[in-house]
Amino acid sequence: MPNDKNSQKIVDMITGFARSNSLFMLAYGTGCGDIEIPPAMTSRYDWERFGYRKMATPRQADVLLISGYLATKTLKRVIRSYEQMQEPKYVIGFGSCTINGGMYWDSYNTINMLDHYIPVDVYINGCMPRPEAVMSGLFELQEMIKRGDANGAQKYRENLEWYRANQKKIIKNWKMPDYNW
Amino acid sequence: MTDISLEKEQKIADELERTFPNLTARVRRARRVMASLEKELIPSVLVHAKDNLGFHHLSHMSVVDWIEDEHFEMVYTLWNHEKRVQLTIKTMISRDNATMANIDTIWRQANTYQREMREMFGIEFPGFVGEKDFLLEDWDEMPPMRRDFDTMEYANKTYFSRPGREDAQDVRDTISKRNGEEVPDFAKKYSREK
Repeated sequence: MPNDKNSQKIVDMITGFARSNSLFMLAYGTGCGDIEIPPAMTSRYDWERFGYRKMATPRQADVLLISGYLATKTLKRVIRSYEQMQEPKYVIGFGSCTINGGMYWDSYNTINMLDHYIPVDVYINGCMPRPEAVMSGLFELQEMIKRGDANGAQKYRENLEWYRANQKKIIKNWKMPDYNW
Repeated sequence: MTDISLEKEQKIADELERTFPNLTARVRRARRVMASLEKELIPSVLVHAKDNLGFHHLSHMSVVDWIEDEHFEMVYTLWNHEKRVQLTIKTMISRDNATMANIDTIWRQANTYQREMREMFGIEFPGFVGEKDFLLEDWDEMPPMRRDFDTMEYANKTYFSRPGREDAQDVRDTISKRNGEEVPDFAKKYSREK
């Protein structure tokens, strides 16, 4: 195929359509926000209608949903999970704790701004967000993927030093494996 | 349950005071006895309560930081299943170089409590074997539950804070003005614009 702009556009459109309609989400409940996931997942709101599924391991997942506050101990596990995920990968920050710390903003053991540690594509605010808000966040992510705006993984690769410096500020004893895909 | 004579509670308090001269015990109410004494006698009192008085169960173990009086207060809560009486044993320990006798040979579950106290308050238990990290990882500051640990200062120093929440304003008025809406009645009492 000749590598011209229009054919690339069509390929992007098709891959965007395919990716946005089969998203596997990592089932890793980090905070209290995970209690809003069962209603969104099961028959009342049923996100599987829109192509979302829960997936058990990071290596098979496309979306990492950070549900609520992140203790520094959990952040370590989240970074490892995120780096193990294969591209394309997206992150949804869920609840006000991931945005500005929420009610744990002055705690000694929870981080305040998630997007300083891993790149976040979509934020859902609220404490807690209702399942309607969760669904709207998921639709927003699908639209972003179709438009080609959800490029958090690329941002992470390009600004790796900045992210690493922030992560190492919290995780002092850095003994993490290197995942270079 | 309807017995309000406090007879069995008084019996336990008297028995304790008779055995340990430096101990002061009093009955707080039905099914609650409280005793306080100096810290050297704690293991022997616990063993005595467990073996001779029937307090087989260690319900809880905690520490209170009395920073103004410059000491920690250790609190042991025991429960007697037959008599249905709770015994609270308290003691004061000094706040700097806080050490306390290790009691996980008496009750194994004290191990977990002592690990938490060591991590959160910095209390040392000589001869105590337990994993160093419990809830925190790589913590090298002052133990965080001590009252002289400034949580806010530590959070500001360590974590990033998103600008815009310094003034802690109620944004309901701003949003309703922007959208040309009326603030609902139930929300008016929180409004800052009286």
